Amino acid sequence: MSVQSSVEVHTEWGIVSARQAGRNLAKEIGFGSVDQARVTTAISELARNIYLYAEKGEIIIETIEQYHSSGAKKGIKITAKDRGPGIKNIREVMEDGFTTSGGLGAGLPGVKRLMDDFDIDSVVGEGTVITAVKWLR
Amino acid sequence: MHAAVLEMIYNQRNEIKENWSEKMTLVRNDVFKEKVPKTLFQDTNEEFAALIFNSFDAELEDGRAFLRSFAEKLIRMGWPLSYFTKGMQTFRRVVLESISSGSEIPSKKMYETFYEIEEWVDEMVNQLVDEYSGSWETTLHQQRLALKELSAPLIPVFDNISVMPLIGTIDTERAKLIMENLLDGIIEHRSQVVLIDITGVPVVDTMVAHHIIQASEAVRLVGAECILVGIRPEIAQTIVNLGIDLGKFPTKSSLRKGIETGMELTKRQIINV
Amino acid sequence: MRIPILKLQQYLLISVQVDLDDQTALQFQEDLLNKIHQEGSAGVVIDLTSVEMIDSFIAKVLGDVVEMSNLMGARVVMTGIQPAVAITLIDMGIILDDVPTALDLEQGLEKLQQELEE
Ligand SMILES: Nc1ncnc2c1ncn2[C@@H]1O[C@H](COP(=O)(O)OP(=O)(O)O)[C@@H](O)[C@H]1O
Ligand SMILES: [Mg+2]
Repeated sequence: MSVQSSVEVHTEWGIVSARQAGRNLAKEIGFGSVDQARVTTAISELARNIYLYAEKGEIIIETIEQYHSSGAKKGIKITAKDRGPGIKNIREVMEDGFTTSGGLGAGLPGVKRLMDDFDIDSVVGEGTVITAVKWLR
Repeated sequence: MHAAVLEMIYNQRNEIKENWSEKMTLVRNDVFKEKVPKTLFQDTNEEFAALIFNSFDAELEDGRAFLRSFAEKLIRMGWPLSYFTKGMQTFRRVVLESISSGSEIPSKKMYETFYEIEEWVDEMVNQLVDEYSGSWETTLHQQRLALKELSAPLIPVFDNISVMPLIGTIDTERAKLIMENLLDGIIEHRSQVVLIDITGVPVVDTMVAHHIIQASEAVRLVGAECILVGIRPEIAQTIVNLGIDLGKFPTKSSLRKGIETGMELTKRQIINV
Repeated sequence: MRIPILKLQQYLLISVQVDLDDQTALQFQEDLLNKIHQEGSAGVVIDLTSVEMIDSFIAKVLGDVVEMSNLMGARVVMTGIQPAVAITLIDMGIILDDVPTALDLEQGLEKLQQELEE
């Protein structure tokens, strides 16, 4: 039942296609306009980080479901994977305004606030996997 | 349904139920990918089985009511329709297997029996689909109403000036709704100034203040301005005691003062008559 | 792709009709500064009504272009930022507090007029 799409990111166009794929899926599973914008923006941030800091990688966008006795939750999950340099100090990059590229440093802390669940898994020299989930309310 | 078939199902009901429950574990893997807790799944199956066996002897109306409450439960739990349809298909398979293995029914009646069971399953599924779609609509409708009540409306008072009275406690979830309402209202009414009236907010802590500040920043981004009104003495005390900085936030003691400032901002004056 | 820049008396008007990709945004920054220089414009309105997403990169480009234009003596007002876009910006902690805003093109022009009279 889960819909999945994967977008290669190695040019700026990858960023654009990843966020388009995200917007379409978010719309399809019934997110309102604000959450659609949140999901699209989060994808844009993660895809751009791949392009800027790891040169290439992949964005996977999928629907997920979770069942509880009180009800079921449906959501959209974004996975950003790269085999770039990795992140040495995760706490540091999660601070508002921290940047090594002259950006706003709002990307990663921003994604964390835009989405409901957020997780970074990174090994220096091997790469980074970031997952983020937005649940449908 | 044919009396002989009913009797057969009735006589073998324990065995049928057991077979059915066993086969339903496949449905659990298939429909839920094991994400439903086992005990919850088993309990629901129990109810499902009771519903099925009930439908054989209960009056039609009763059966329907039972089915409705089961449908409502599935919706509340957010379970997909395929749980029900697959459950019914599984039941049909189990019954047909019992019938073909036993010799209760003369073989010339076989075709008729198959046909009857088929029809009965279809009828159950159709009824549930009916209930499902009907209840979905009511549930959605009720949720929308609840949301409307929870979130504050934006009330236009003059051209370009609106008031948003906040009432009750503000948690993060509500703050989000209020923000969306506020911004949509601004666009809809083309408001240049919004007065946020917090007279009805019982407690302003750092969290609530944070939400109000964020709302005002968002309001500015869409191209309007906020004025905070209705700050009661005890609220003023907590704001200062907590060290909350509302420095950038224009505040006015009363709604009327707020409206006057709004008028000045939109280049209009209240003319005293 | 290039975003068209229109001239209205002493002002420049830009209505962004697409979600900005990086190249288009940077190209726009350059084009706008050149145009301000060419025309000696006193004010600029950038209308974002049709823009459905602004991420931190685009936000930075837009914030920068306002600052750069100010340096060249032109005031910039941004108009039509959609509620969903405003909320995501706030979520990300981007408040663009140096950028004057207005609801729509018409009010944006009014705001420019006021600011230039002051
Ligand atoms: N995929 C990645 N691989 C390696 N480093 C990364 C990656 N993503 C982010 N970073 C590091 O984290 C910092 C903060 O990222 P972010 O919050 O998006 O802000 P910005 O991109 O504006 O610098 C970046 O400057 C970079 O050093
Ligand atoms: Mg970034």
